[in-house]
Amino acid sequence: MIIKFKLNGKEIVKDVPVHKRALDFLRDDLGVLSIKEGCGEGECGACTILVDGKNIHSCLMLAVELDGKEVLTVEGLKDKTIQNAFVEAGAIQCGFCTPGFIISTKALLNENKNPSSEEIKEALEGNLCRCTGYLKIEEAVKLAVKMYNKGSDKE
Amino acid sequence: MIKNYFRPKTIDELSELKLKTKGYLFSGGTDLFVKLRAGTIDTDTVIDTKYLNSKKIEITGNKLFIPINATYSELRMFIKQNNVNNMLENIVKTIGSPMIRNRGTPVGNISNASPAGDFVLASYLFNAQVIIEPTSRKLPVKNFIKGPGKIDLRENEFVYGIELEILNDYKFYFEKVGRRNAMIISIASLGLLLKEKDNKIKDIRIAFGSVAPYILRDENLEKSIIGETINEELFKHLAIEYQKLSLPITDVRATKEYRKSLVHNLVIKAYNNLFEKVVKE
Repeated sequence: MIIKFKLNGKEIVKDVPVHKRALDFLRDDLGVLSIKEGCGEGECGACTILVDGKNIHSCLMLAVELDGKEVLTVEGLKDKTIQNAFVEAGAIQCGFCTPGFIISTKALLNENKNPSSEEIKEALEGNLCRCTGYLKIEEAVKLAVKMYNKGSDKE
Repeated sequence: MIKNYFRPKTIDELSELKLKTKGYLFSGGTDLFVKLRAGTIDTDTVIDTKYLNSKKIEITGNKLFIPINATYSELRMFIKQNNVNNMLENIVKTIGSPMIRNRGTPVGNISNASPAGDFVLASYLFNAQVIIEPTSRKLPVKNFIKGPGKIDLRENEFVYGIELEILNDYKFYFEKVGRRNAMIISIASLGLLLKEKDNKIKDIRIAFGSVAPYILRDENLEKSIIGETINEELFKHLAIEYQKLSLPITDVRATKEYRKSLVHNLVIKAYNNLFEKVVKE
């Protein structure tokens, strides 16, 4: 089936088999390597992508469902504030879960410019990390908020 | 493996496809794709319901209509913006994770008919009516769900939406017991709605998830305490009665004995949270 969608701002037209998951299509066929397969059943969040502004699991989505959508992955983030905050706060270790966390953070900050600790925890509850232990991840989100606020002060 | 993928646009088209292909319907896929992967469902045909030209979430009279394809996130936004059945948010926010809530749907949860389904529990509490097309049948959720995964649906039919009562001035308590906060399937859950007048019960609805092969709600027991004074004694009585009514099983999540204790203790805890000034954890 031929699908047409936007990936990180670029128009893509491709013929995809109907059984293929969005995860496999984006990663294997289009080389979007930030998307990881962790559990493959919507538990871990390592495959999280933004579809029309909402974070979803690419492992629980068919590639054909991308038709007509706008997809954003870490590769497409022009503004590196969230990534920089994760690095600075030490919120990364092995890095496998990080793209998922960054995309979920992006989804949160798009809707809520100044989230509370509770709101951060809820927004990231679908992403699992086995290395850092979440505190630094929460700090990284708060740092990203601070960085954005500083940026807007200058303007 | 999926070989055929369909995108029907009308009710009739969807119904004909379902009848002809015996394919599985999906909107969010948060349940179907997990089962396909695990091999508990084997089909070569899936029908994507998201292209169906359907209604939006809406309030009609004293009913809240939730159509096919409306996600948990959309429902949550709607109840916040319209200040309607706010109690539902306490249930909806415990379902899955943001990613699941962005794709999963209440109609999907009802159609799966799991006794652990959190929205199934909600639908029992709000006396939901299930709206079925293309036959335009409408029936109470308790009659629609026949058993775990078993529903009253003919081969050409599908669930088009659900209608919940809109309830005002109810006290509400919901608790889901599980091993962590996100992504859990409950070991046991309790939802309680209570309307009081002069410290007496005017209306009460109590439903339990995961403690029987169905959502446990006993309308006779509820009716029997209308007009009673709200106190600890009454809730102790309820705790014992519901414990008797529960029929839990032992599974990977917990033993039946533990679930029986939970039924009792959740009722007491609900009372303490709603009516006792000092809550002991």
